[in-house]
Amino acid sequence: MVASVVRISAAAERPAIDPHPPRQLPVVDEWGRDQATVNVLAPIARLRWNVDLAGVGNLPAAGGALLVINDRQWSWNPLMAAMAISHHSERTVRFAGRSDRAPGGALLRRLGGILARADEVDTALGEGEIVMIAAASERSPRNVGTVDHRLVAPAVLRSLPVIPVAAVSSPFGRRSRVKVGTPIAHRGQRRGPLSEVELADAAQTHIQQMLEQMGSTGGFDWLIGN
Amino acid sequence: MATRTGTTEGGKRVLVAGIGGELGSLTASLFENEPWVGPVMGIDVDPPRRRLRRAEVHLIDPTDRDRIVDEVTRFNPHVMIHLAVWEPDARAGTAVATRFTHSATTAILGAAAECPAMETVVVRSGIEIYGRRSGSPTRPDESTRLDPTSEYGRTLFDLEQTATSVGERVGLSVARLRLASVVGPHVPSPLGRLLRQPAVPFSALSDSPFTLVEDAHAARAFVAAARAQYAGALNVVSPGAITVYQALRRGRRLPLPLLGPEWFIARQISHLFGAPIPDHVMEVMHRGRLANGQRLQQELGVAPTISAAEVIDRLYAWPSVIHLKNPIQAVA
Repeated sequence: MVASVVRISAAAERPAIDPHPPRQLPVVDEWGRDQATVNVLAPIARLRWNVDLAGVGNLPAAGGALLVINDRQWSWNPLMAAMAISHHSERTVRFAGRSDRAPGGALLRRLGGILARADEVDTALGEGEIVMIAAASERSPRNVGTVDHRLVAPAVLRSLPVIPVAAVSSPFGRRSRVKVGTPIAHRGQRRGPLSEVELADAAQTHIQQMLEQMGSTGGFDWLIGN
Repeated sequence: MATRTGTTEGGKRVLVAGIGGELGSLTASLFENEPWVGPVMGIDVDPPRRRLRRAEVHLIDPTDRDRIVDEVTRFNPHVMIHLAVWEPDARAGTAVATRFTHSATTAILGAAAECPAMETVVVRSGIEIYGRRSGSPTRPDESTRLDPTSEYGRTLFDLEQTATSVGERVGLSVARLRLASVVGPHVPSPLGRLLRQPAVPFSALSDSPFTLVEDAHAARAFVAAARAQYAGALNVVSPGAITVYQALRRGRRLPLPLLGPEWFIARQISHLFGAPIPDHVMEVMHRGRLANGQRLQQELGVAPTISAAEVIDRLYAWPSVIHLKNPIQAVA
């Protein structure tokens, strides 16, 4: 019994904190984004998409902002654009639309995905994050689907900038173009939910106009040198 | 003499229900140092885990409602901190923990309603109350709809409902502090106990992130809520998050990746080794558990400062049990 006390006392004199904690080990951020996973998958993403990015300077240097991007079937525009913008700017972009089922949803969460829910978008914007939502997916790369005004509402209620992002990509080709537009002006004339409905429509129109000004990406371009 | 709204000459009387636990005794010790606090009384089935200088402690079984009511009404506190919440498989199995929590809540909050001096009740809840149903928000805040999906979450939901209803009936301010898993070297926690096993199973498919809070930071939140007479819910979570696999790497434990059906066997084996895995911890393993804790800082001016990863580091820094082969020789 005495021996136990002696040994346990000696053990208790050890520092409460390991003097060499493994702090260099990666941890996820508060939303589950894992920079280590991003770093591992970024080269694969660059192999999949060769992105020409423009307009990154339109992103706010600090504070929340809502990006609205067009989507094309099988192109994964939000993922592609969010990774490209995060890579080329100081800000991390979280894209809304991950599933909540493992393993796909878990992987997308590691890459910065959040759920496409208004409360989820609102929480992220409230924490000063840049969140990207997608318009409804379209078959044609030249068409922009409708923008869910419920996901735009948090930005309206928080008076945060809503920025259109146009993306041209192909389900099969590498070459992609992403252009970040200028923030859409909030008219501020509406007091109710029509403000976000009209802002969502405006975002759709802006992206459509941006797409019409962007060229094609070409077709299959996996040959060496592309 | 105490009044309904004023402060007594000797400071406000504070009752800590659940003073025997690590969190309860820590909270009581903080109250003892508060200038606005007068007499401190505690009730629990177990004695406090640390030395308290002036708190008066009564050891009462949570099912002994009459005695609880007698002691509480005799003390007639201004502030009640309800920490008598049994987390399943922390100190008791799920069924017993649920029964104890329900009994203690009924007796303690019922007694609070009978105290004429009572002004503020602060109850310990948890972020398990939000549930982790598929498609539920990743980081729920206090306004998120409550949809508990575990037994512990449902127990906390009942507790909050009872506290809110008592507060409305009698006109008390009721603060509900929703704590992330309270983990620390001394804290009986099924999650902490599981993570300290030599080999720990984790979900290879999801390895979801979760957050924690250290007992010291949680205790400070209780004191701040009582001081401010806060009414409403607040999440108390450490900044940052960590996944189970990342936690195991920090603790140099052997991670056992599991895919699905073998979880049943893993739970049985873990139970045999003294670390049962209740359903709310299983949720953490499969779906993670995060919450937005910004409002705590905004409303009370306090917030946990050490990150979830640092809480994990402190959990693993505590030395394990040392088995002596020959105690006699060791003394010599």
